[in-house]
Amino acid sequence: MNPSQTAFTRRGFLGLAAAAAAAPTLSACGGSSSSSRNSIEFWDMPWATPAYNTAAKKITQSYAPASGDRRANYQIIQWNNFYQTFSSAIASKTGPAVSTGAGFQAFQFEQQGAIAHADNVIDALKKNGQYDDFLPGVLEPFKSDNGYVAVPWQMDMRVFWYRKSLLDKVGAAVPTDWPSLLQAGKALKKAGAIGFCTGSGAGNNIGNHFLIAMMLNNGGGVWTPDGHLDLLNDRNVEAVDFVRELVSNGVIDPGAVSYTTNNMDAQWKDKQAGFGLYVLGLPQRVGDTSGDIMAASPLTGPHGDKAALVFLNNIMMYRNTPSQPSSEAFLVYYLGRIKQLWQQNLMNSLPVFKSITALPEFTKDANNVRILKEYQPIAKTSAARGTALRANLAVLDGGQAINQFTQTVLGGKTDAKSALRTFQSGLQSVITS
Amino acid sequence: MTTTTNGLAKARRGVTPGGPGRAPAKRHPTSPLRAQATRTFFWLLLPSVLLLVLINGYPLVYAAIQATHSGSLIDAGRFVGLDNFTHVLTSAAFWKAAEFTVVFTIVGVFGSWLVGLGLALLLRTRIPARGVFKILLLLPWVVPIVVSSTAWNWLVATPQSPVPALLHSLGLGTPLFLADPTLAAVTVCVFKVWVSFPFMMMMSASALASVDPSVYEAASMDGAGRRQQFTRITLPLIARSTYISWILMTIFCVNDFPTIYLLTGGGPADATNSLVVFAYRTVFQNFQTGPGVAVAFLMTVTLVVVSAVLYRQIRKSSVE
Repeated sequence: MNPSQTAFTRRGFLGLAAAAAAAPTLSACGGSSSSSRNSIEFWDMPWATPAYNTAAKKITQSYAPASGDRRANYQIIQWNNFYQTFSSAIASKTGPAVSTGAGFQAFQFEQQGAIAHADNVIDALKKNGQYDDFLPGVLEPFKSDNGYVAVPWQMDMRVFWYRKSLLDKVGAAVPTDWPSLLQAGKALKKAGAIGFCTGSGAGNNIGNHFLIAMMLNNGGGVWTPDGHLDLLNDRNVEAVDFVRELVSNGVIDPGAVSYTTNNMDAQWKDKQAGFGLYVLGLPQRVGDTSGDIMAASPLTGPHGDKAALVFLNNIMMYRNTPSQPSSEAFLVYYLGRIKQLWQQNLMNSLPVFKSITALPEFTKDANNVRILKEYQPIAKTSAARGTALRANLAVLDGGQAINQFTQTVLGGKTDAKSALRTFQSGLQSVITS
Repeated sequence: MTTTTNGLAKARRGVTPGGPGRAPAKRHPTSPLRAQATRTFFWLLLPSVLLLVLINGYPLVYAAIQATHSGSLIDAGRFVGLDNFTHVLTSAAFWKAAEFTVVFTIVGVFGSWLVGLGLALLLRTRIPARGVFKILLLLPWVVPIVVSSTAWNWLVATPQSPVPALLHSLGLGTPLFLADPTLAAVTVCVFKVWVSFPFMMMMSASALASVDPSVYEAASMDGAGRRQQFTRITLPLIARSTYISWILMTIFCVNDFPTIYLLTGGGPADATNSLVVFAYRTVFQNFQTGPGVAVAFLMTVTLVVVSAVLYRQIRKSSVE
């Protein structure tokens, strides 16, 4: 073998190897930013069964942009580690141009300068008439000093549910206020059932939402109207004291502190739970659509207050887009087509548009009608007693402080004021402004 | 004869006849061919080394930047020096998590080792269907943690779950395995032992297989009982493998996120909050990137120190 030929081959091989090794690294460094892509990247979450994503993808793919605008591309993003997924993508400029996501995600990314405001979209909705189709109170929370941070598209309401046969069995009326809740709960407990079904185990936020809902139901709330922490107000103390009373009477199961949503689903399905706060579509969720599980009316607080807790899910736009007008045009188009999702019975949430609430596919469910009629008008976000949504609400909703607070209260081992004081200091230490 | 024996022993210990220490390295004259071979090796290795440095080094450097800044996952923010470290080290929640991590690790390592070693010893004896048992005993390690944590939740979470129901029927009350802070900590530790013992069993079984049976025969002839054989022969002879399994299991336990997070989420009231869960919750639930990454850094340093100490034990056991 010719030595010089061997050397050449070896060098050639080494060069190729180095190039092959460097290629993925360099391409990873460069990324494929949205700005270098031709289409509008729309990232959507698995909001319901896979059929939902199939339908949403079809809507996206059916988008025929006007001349000069770009087409849209649909991608499903899993909830698992979603915040990391979005953050990494935004940081590397490979993120979406438009996305759905967690309720307060838009406000978090706005704080970090990544969100494109939706004022032009709102203007377009005013022109095409869809603006007037919004249900009252759903759009205002998204208006910040800088403009609309996102546009709502569905509502995630927390609803009081009851199992009719269990209440009938123990001779209790459907609770309408706090004393009747306690009374019915005691009767259910006495009969060996769960008087009030809730939980704050691994990955379960329902217990957190229950406590916030009870504060709102009593005219309280986590914040002052101008957005400062105010957990120790009298109404909150009273609400937490009432929950402790439910715990001490065994109306709330002592194990609730560790119940996951799977445990709660099983309790509803197995006819152990008589009453409780849960998500929309509970009968479908646990596979009992016999009419035995029904939505109760919102409770009336001891001072005559009535309120429900709602999460306004929204669609947001990002500054990293190949074309902002194209992002806006796509979002206007998409909002005009989401009606199909309810028409196909794919959604487990309330719509934000009046026209969808009038659809026969929506009104055929008596629970939906009741929730829309009785809960939606009195619904408040976790920003109450303020109204504007903010990034800090993400820390409130899923943070350690509220989990610890809920587990402490449901564990029944402390008084209301101490629990609220610890909650307030825990939350204060992690909120950004 | 004595000289020969001593010489042989020294040779086995790596001691040269000229005295203790390493044998002097052979010196090769530097030929052009050898230099070229060295260069070739260097260039062949370079792409892999570069990739390794980039893959491991980049996240480490970026994490160091995040740990010393006050920003988010998107933007590192402003430099704050060691403030994040000070913040976490003065936090009661951090020390509570550290305390649970230590307990969880000690129980996880030694609990799974004891069970694993015991089963490995048992499986050496002639029991019927030994092969089937070996496979069945591996299941906790093989089954995805999501499945096993769901199964454990089903077993113990509610008063109607099989284990509390059984205890209730035996008149032992209705223990709330995941709702009571102490019981939840115990349950998580037991779950960890259950998940991990097959690994320890395999490590122990392979170490035991390497022990020459004639050693036991000789010991029996010298009058050593079973207990003496175990403490004086078995344990010392499998020490190296044991230390390695301890190091690995320590790393597994300290870094174990799913076992805890899926079963209790760190609750109730932070009773099972380990450092890795604490770091995750700090970054992704409280959105405090700097302090969360600082926790991860502190964990890494601690693990390196603990591993180094155990590694020294391995070297010592090898020499002995």
